[in-house]
Amino acid sequence: MDLLSNLQLAFSVIFQPGNLFFCFIGVLIGTLIGVLPGIGPVATISLLLPSTFQITPVSAIIMLAGIYYGAMYGGSTTSILVNIPGEAASVVTCLDGYQMARQGRAGPALGIAAFGSFIAGTLAVIIIMLIAPPLARFALRFGPPEYFTLMFLGLTVLTYLASGSMFKALMMACVGIFLGTIGTDTISGLERFTYRSYTLMDGVGLVPVIMGLFGISEVLLNIEQPMKREIFKTRLSNLFPTLRDWRDSILAIIRGTFIGFFLGILPGGGAVIASFGAYAVEKRISKHPERFGTGAIEGVASPEAANNAASQGAFIPLLTLGIPANVVMAILLGALMIHGIKPGPLLMKQHPDLFWGVIGSMYIGNVMLLILNLPLIGIWVKILKIPYPILFPLILLFCLIGSYSLNNNIVEVMIMILFGIVGYLMKKFEYEGAPLILAFVLSPLLENALRQSLIMSHGSFAIFLTRPISLVFFIVSIFLLVSPLMPGLKKRPKGGDLG
Amino acid sequence: MKKNDRMSSLVWLLLALYICTESMRLPWGAWRDPGPGFLPLGSGIILGILSGIAYLKASMSKSPEAKGSWYSKERWKNLVVVVVALFAYAIFLEILGFLLATFLLLIFLFRGIEPQKWVVSIGGSALASFISYAVFELWLKTQLPKGILGF
Repeated sequence: MDLLSNLQLAFSVIFQPGNLFFCFIGVLIGTLIGVLPGIGPVATISLLLPSTFQITPVSAIIMLAGIYYGAMYGGSTTSILVNIPGEAASVVTCLDGYQMARQGRAGPALGIAAFGSFIAGTLAVIIIMLIAPPLARFALRFGPPEYFTLMFLGLTVLTYLASGSMFKALMMACVGIFLGTIGTDTISGLERFTYRSYTLMDGVGLVPVIMGLFGISEVLLNIEQPMKREIFKTRLSNLFPTLRDWRDSILAIIRGTFIGFFLGILPGGGAVIASFGAYAVEKRISKHPERFGTGAIEGVASPEAANNAASQGAFIPLLTLGIPANVVMAILLGALMIHGIKPGPLLMKQHPDLFWGVIGSMYIGNVMLLILNLPLIGIWVKILKIPYPILFPLILLFCLIGSYSLNNNIVEVMIMILFGIVGYLMKKFEYEGAPLILAFVLSPLLENALRQSLIMSHGSFAIFLTRPISLVFFIVSIFLLVSPLMPGLKKRPKGGDLG
Repeated sequence: MKKNDRMSSLVWLLLALYICTESMRLPWGAWRDPGPGFLPLGSGIILGILSGIAYLKASMSKSPEAKGSWYSKERWKNLVVVVVALFAYAIFLEILGFLLATFLLLIFLFRGIEPQKWVVSIGGSALASFISYAVFELWLKTQLPKGILGF
């Protein structure tokens, strides 16, 4: 049994004390930053990236992955208790979760969010184990044209699902591709846009750009408006949902898991879209849609299950194809490459301990999160009370240290501050950062695949259309690109549109 | 949003022009072997076309002009203060050394935006500087700058 031996490997890796420790640290930090609004998994993972250079790649990825799915747990706590989503993926949880809290049912809401996430996380691990190996075998047939069209598809999906204007998202993808070409060209060795700067020769660093766009800019936005937080005073004695709560939500949790998982796999998808999608589906199929928004427990259970499943499903394209499905995966891709590991279809063969260890860690991580979350909710609530004027200097300090310590280079700190200002302006003028970052990370891969494809075909673009897998990716991308222009088609789903 | 969209699309158009002119100077290669200028030029051209259309769309849009300014008229100074403080930190970090520079930056940020009590500011700054020094320099062995004073 292949599956059993893989499972055995997974558990033998995760139960090494070092890995167990870093898994715990990861989910703990993840929950913490998930609880704190204004600092998300993206900034945290980039901050801690340099510090993982000292540990083994397996431990490093286990910890960073833990931060990601841990943040999904933590984010729900603030949504329910304060009506402030700690994470973008928990925005929908506010709708019914906060209403439940106002009716004195904060306990069951938090409980079902934690149990729902746990069930979803567990199911997701099982699905990953079943579909990742065949997918990796399939991906072995991919050549440069397939990779190019797949990455192109990923970028199109992300712009298609962008919450604002698709037009603007496409522009951001172009800017990202341009940023990715700065530095020394790997094929010809020529410098591009470097102006003889030593820092730029290696290209613009991913960490400073991300910390600027997502960390610094968030602080700048927050200090511009006074931030008031009122914590709902409620007794948290009964965290366990009643039998009736379970009856209402168990199917919602399972549906949410599947919706979330498959939206998570989709390049450009991710936890945010998954939670919105799951909520919309629950509302549509419910016999009492009018209950949604007034404290329906399904409205908490399903999106919470979905965002957890999505955050784990997102690992599939990264670990099997080497293509990040979202920004967090893009940073993890960077992390793997810094550790000298090239993600892709061969990863499972060359580094089975890494692949199965990370998957095993998600399972153990979910158990740890359940233990951490239910009894410790009181502590997380206390942390929420840290006032922002005390919090934001510390967030800035973390960003400064993070961008400096990567290469001990002050220029990278300057780049980060610069991108902080750019990110602030982008938010104000309604441009999204996610397409920019994904395109930025994919740019070198995209360029190599494109140039190799054209060398293979002696300069003919037909190579993308004559190979069946690549043709499918291409047709889907073109369909997504032109569909908003076609009047007969339904409006594309938007992040803020709950249907 | 009309005015905002017009302004921002012009900025991206300028960026596109810059990308195109600069990538013209790089070898473009041939279709059968694209050179280093190929992708930047391509992204520059597409960005240029998109931002051009965005500008026209915003100019011709009939939707009413959004009310209010895109920045907060009362609190924009906070932004300037923080950004200047961050740049100052970056400039003086290697001269003053990590501990001193960080301590000063934190005190400034605690007091400068929404003034905290002096005890909180000084205590918090000292504590945060030492803890981050301990974690990053002593535990994780990141080499933080020592500065002219040697710490």
